[in-house]
Amino acid sequence: MVYMRDYFFSVLNSNRVVALLLVTSLAACGRSPVDQVVNYDIEYPPEDGGTMIDATRGEPGGLITMIAGDAAASAVSQNIFNSLLRYDKNLEFEGELAESWQISPDQRVITFKLKPDLKWADGKPLTSADVLFTWQLLTDDKTRTPYGSDYKLVIKAETPDARTFRVTYAEPYAPAVNSWAGMDVLPKHLLEGQDINNTPFARNPVGSHYYKLEKWRPGEQISLVRNTLSTQGPARIDRLVSRFIPDEASQFLELMANNIDTMALSPVQYARIFPARPELQQKFALYKELGNSYTYLGFNLKRKPFNDIRVRKAINYAINKQELIDGVLLGMGEPVASPYKPGTRWTNPNLSPYSYDPARARELLREAGFKDTNGDGILERNGKPLTFEILTNQNKQREMSAVLVQRRLKEVGIDVKIRVLEWASFIGRFIKTGDFDMVLLGWQLAIDPDQYAIWHSSQQAPGQFNFIGYKNQRVDRLLERGRMELNPDKRMKIYHEFAEILLEDSPIVYLFAGYGLQAMHKRIKGIDNPAPPKGIGHNSQDWYIPRPLRRTEISQ
Amino acid sequence: MKRALSNPLALSGFIIISGIFLLALFAPLIAPYDPDAIDVKAILLNPSSIHLMGTDGLGRDVFSRMLFGARISLLVGLVAVGIATAIGIVLGAIAGYYRGWVDVVIMRTVDVMLSIPTFFLILAVIAFLTPSIWNIMIVIGLTSWMGVTRLVRAEFLSLRNREFVMASETLGASDKRLIFKHLLPNSMTPVIVSSVLGVASAVLIESGLSFLGLGVQAPQASWGNILTDGKEYIQFAWWLSLFPGFAILITVLGYNLFGEGLRDVYDPRSSKSR
Repeated sequence: MVYMRDYFFSVLNSNRVVALLLVTSLAACGRSPVDQVVNYDIEYPPEDGGTMIDATRGEPGGLITMIAGDAAASAVSQNIFNSLLRYDKNLEFEGELAESWQISPDQRVITFKLKPDLKWADGKPLTSADVLFTWQLLTDDKTRTPYGSDYKLVIKAETPDARTFRVTYAEPYAPAVNSWAGMDVLPKHLLEGQDINNTPFARNPVGSHYYKLEKWRPGEQISLVRNTLSTQGPARIDRLVSRFIPDEASQFLELMANNIDTMALSPVQYARIFPARPELQQKFALYKELGNSYTYLGFNLKRKPFNDIRVRKAINYAINKQELIDGVLLGMGEPVASPYKPGTRWTNPNLSPYSYDPARARELLREAGFKDTNGDGILERNGKPLTFEILTNQNKQREMSAVLVQRRLKEVGIDVKIRVLEWASFIGRFIKTGDFDMVLLGWQLAIDPDQYAIWHSSQQAPGQFNFIGYKNQRVDRLLERGRMELNPDKRMKIYHEFAEILLEDSPIVYLFAGYGLQAMHKRIKGIDNPAPPKGIGHNSQDWYIPRPLRRTEISQ
Repeated sequence: MKRALSNPLALSGFIIISGIFLLALFAPLIAPYDPDAIDVKAILLNPSSIHLMGTDGLGRDVFSRMLFGARISLLVGLVAVGIATAIGIVLGAIAGYYRGWVDVVIMRTVDVMLSIPTFFLILAVIAFLTPSIWNIMIVIGLTSWMGVTRLVRAEFLSLRNREFVMASETLGASDKRLIFKHLLPNSMTPVIVSSVLGVASAVLIESGLSFLGLGVQAPQASWGNILTDGKEYIQFAWWLSLFPGFAILITVLGYNLFGEGLRDVYDPRSSKSR
């Protein structure tokens, strides 16, 4: 037995076995054997050319994002199509197809002026008629898209001339500006008279951005090639290849085998595997971006005792957020105190999360009338023990968070059970029916601050997003005002106040926001580090691959 | 029993199982740490003299969790098989003794149950119930009695035509006396063998369910859910996958050896040597 154990230790403890496997697999793929000795840390001047390969989890359903709606589709099509506006690296609006835009004094009319001489990749001119055409498609009831609602609020869209596009709203609608940064403008001359739901264009698109489709090999990959007529000027890298690799573990193996250049990492890969492997550090640079979502513990506010603010606050004080970040994310995240990306305009800098203060938590619970009368370590009120169930879905990070929360709540005398459910039954049986005590879930950290759908008291019907039953008249007013205010500075004040009330009310406990973690092969130069709020992708057109660092490419 | 343990297969199986039983029984005394004690400063540590089997993603001591997990695995195995065997004996005895339409109904039910893949049936049932250790034991028990039923029925059919049974029937023995004095005691051997083998498969099913997140719920440890936790870290935290996997393997092997050994000893038809 001892012998056995030592044997296992010695074999599995060494990374040499894995490294050896990798070397053989590299050789087998016919990749350049010099790969091992190239020094990727040398700086080179920018130059054009080369191929960058990334991976998507699935194959896009098509490349018209309003129809396809999957993550893989938008990952590819964001390099093909333009919107009127976009976010700059600090998440402020700037023109993309639009040279400028103006909001009328009554905040109901937005007028976009397009840049001069815009062209589609096939050489035809891109005009305001194309923008109008795309808006008509998006708002047409025959178009099967989930993204139409924001655009349907436009009561009049017009094109006074070829470079002007003007939209009128019935009343001011602040998220509108954001919506014009999300509409991929499509070519009218190729799509007019076609059924947008089933058009061959979806697999053979013509756009106006840095790249155009080169070849789509079903089940394998999509390759894009530089669009010389790009409306945004030329990009440096010649070709972008997106391979379809559904499994994260296989993606990671492909990354290490030098078959893809970049992938999103898990905290474990980022904080444990890479630091332990010098040969990976030689080849890959790691980047940390602001996360896209936060994880929270939400209370069913319609149930006792969660309608009591003291209980909610007590639970908030009882949970150690830093411990969650260290344990679940291996330190790769930060606590949040408002539902916005940390460090961006909408985040109220004066707010800080509830500290970890179990004494305060016990104090608050005592005030609320809970006492341990029978000495079992669990508090009671009127003979009823303080015991709940945390519901969450099958997600490793959430399950681990629930276990940590469970332990901390036990320390202040709250008995918590954990129930992990598969997503469909979780939503169908518990969320829609409101049959839960606490949920451990996540919300997106969207760029636009409007959170009407999540927090407004009118949004509590089954299937709507305010399923925790939050109702606060001041918050309702602020959310309504925030939607009507297009001036960014005034809007900011509104949402700062909103976040402050939300924190004080504690309808949810903010647990953490994880960072977006990215590994990128060092052959790709010109990437901003540290990443700006928008993420490293904001200047991808300036990325370049110096000739000596390129893969040996097999011409087809 | 002595005869059984003279068989090397049965003996080695017996030693393995008793070893694991002792470890599980004395888990609170042996375990160096509280199996649920979280320590975020000691996440994913390598096995060492401080943490014999390393620590998991929340800094819990894997060795302690393995010991307490053993209790779950063994308990599930025994209770589930107990339920299955009880149902199997009752139905098999009724079918084999009374024959006729009762027999037809019971045996066709067995055929129907056998035609459904057990694991997926269990998955479907658990999806409707709350996953908990008790539900799992009951569900495994309720879906694995068919083999025992067939065995008992077959034994009854053949025993009923033996001289000593016919003799006591002729002497006017009651159904009750026939069943409990003559038929049942003489058909127990294959049942015991199949039960021992059944424990092995119940241990596997529990591990499988916990691995899929439908078994024993957090934070309680079971070998299956330690294994699931390990899946995510398999590229560098090998100890999280190896130890529970190995424990499951050894336990199942132990029960199988013991069961096969018993069969060799007691079942004249299958034995190669005595």
